[in-house]
Amino acid sequence: MNYSFHFDVVWRDFDALMQGAWMTFQLGVLAFWGGALIGLLGAALKTYGPRPLRLVADCYVVFFTNTPALIQIYFLYFGLPEAGIRWSSEACVLIGLTLNAGAYLTMILRAGFLSVRRTELEAAETLGLSVLQQIRHVIVPHIARAIYPALANFFIVILVMGTSIGAVIGVDELTGQAINLATVNYRWLEYFTVVAGIYVVLTFVASIGLALLGRWAFRVRARIF
Amino acid sequence: MPHLELRDVRAGYGALEVLRGVSLAVDRGEVVALVGPSGSGKSTVLRVLMGLTPLSAGQVSIDGRPVDFRSRGELRALRDRMAIVFQQYNLFQNMTVMGNVTLAPLRIKRWPRAEVEAEARALLAKVGLAGREDAYPDELSGGQQQRVAIARALALRPEILLLDEVTSALDPELVNEVLDTIRTLAAEGMTMLIVSHEMGFVREIADRVVMMDAGEVIEAGPPAEILDNPRTERARRFFGKVLRH
Ligand SMILES: Nc1ncnc2c1ncn2[C@@H]1O[C@H](COP(=O)(O)OP(=O)(O)O)[C@@H](O)[C@H]1O
Ligand SMILES: [Mg+2]
Repeated sequence: MNYSFHFDVVWRDFDALMQGAWMTFQLGVLAFWGGALIGLLGAALKTYGPRPLRLVADCYVVFFTNTPALIQIYFLYFGLPEAGIRWSSEACVLIGLTLNAGAYLTMILRAGFLSVRRTELEAAETLGLSVLQQIRHVIVPHIARAIYPALANFFIVILVMGTSIGAVIGVDELTGQAINLATVNYRWLEYFTVVAGIYVVLTFVASIGLALLGRWAFRVRARIF
Repeated sequence: MPHLELRDVRAGYGALEVLRGVSLAVDRGEVVALVGPSGSGKSTVLRVLMGLTPLSAGQVSIDGRPVDFRSRGELRALRDRMAIVFQQYNLFQNMTVMGNVTLAPLRIKRWPRAEVEAEARALLAKVGLAGREDAYPDELSGGQQQRVAIARALALRPEILLLDEVTSALDPELVNEVLDTIRTLAAEGMTMLIVSHEMGFVREIADRVVMMDAGEVIEAGPPAEILDNPRTERARRFFGKVLRH
């Protein structure tokens, strides 16, 4: 191999890459939490909802988990303008990812709902807790603890794989930014080496943050690696 | 007038009728042991009393007043006066021992925290768990969890305590810790209805024994009478089996 690396050009653009990383982080966090809200609703409907609403939730989950996120985002970006709706590429990625995450999180949260022990609820009931108090003190902490590992994993998936889809419709997140810069001076290998390193740092920081949050809030014995 | 009374209570799960007309009474400060083969409906009696399983006929009275289980207010009042300790403890796994014991007094009774925590510590000391306030249920042995469940039930200062086979899930060496706790409560005059398979313990602690089989009460009386001279064939067979081992 006689390729000679020139990292100096990459360091010159480091600020731009960090801006991309920040965009990646924002997209990941927003899509995850938006998806979590949708997932909470979806899981509640699937578990406790009337039949028609259960069906709606099922269709939503099947559609979004059985088609690629890339296609979903293309639909928003290229399809909606035909209907007269024009969103920025950032909005399309964010909304697409949120809907996609919502479907996966519906399934993850549903598993959590099903794992609530009836015996604990009966104990709460005989102690005199109202339904709302049971949700607040027994159901939610239990679900949080049960699904925390799956949730943390999924956040990393969104953060790394999900957000990088933005590159294909011109969002300046980390991958997109690297493509922008590399097309100018063709130092692809250097840019992507550094970008890979930034992704690793990003996931590492996110993992530690999540593990600490989990330990502190939900007493999850999360492993960082 | 009995403190707690069931009259011709019928109840079941769906189409399955488990209690087929159960009548029994517990006087104030009395300890009644409910015995009988597995599946005879003992747990269901306790579940009916706590309003977890609806009764389809008959009546439950406390201090002579019939309870309407469909009224939220009456149900709340009932659960105020009566507490249950489940066979499988049913502790809140996501809360510490202290959290388990103080949840209801703090959130439902809204008693002052300092007072509630002091009382919880005293109760935990009484059941032999001083110093384990910050442990989580999964860090405790079965016997310790069982005693936390007893402390949790007592924290609401119930008048009547229902205990469901509190020793059957325990290793033999832990049984005595729990039985000691119950002995103390009996000595203090708590009204108790105890489901138990420990015939030695029943003989020692119970003022009366009620024997159930297939959803019916088949014998009731003082331990000496029921355990040593059962009148019915079914009871003789049951005690023959239980006492032999
Ligand atoms: N939640 C339930 N759903 C359906 N059947 C039940 C339930 N709980 C108990 N049963 C049935 O009711 C009968 C009596 O059970 P139980 O009251 O637990 O008896 P015991 O405590 O004397 O062993 C058994 O046949 C049991 O299978
Ligand atoms: Mg039972």
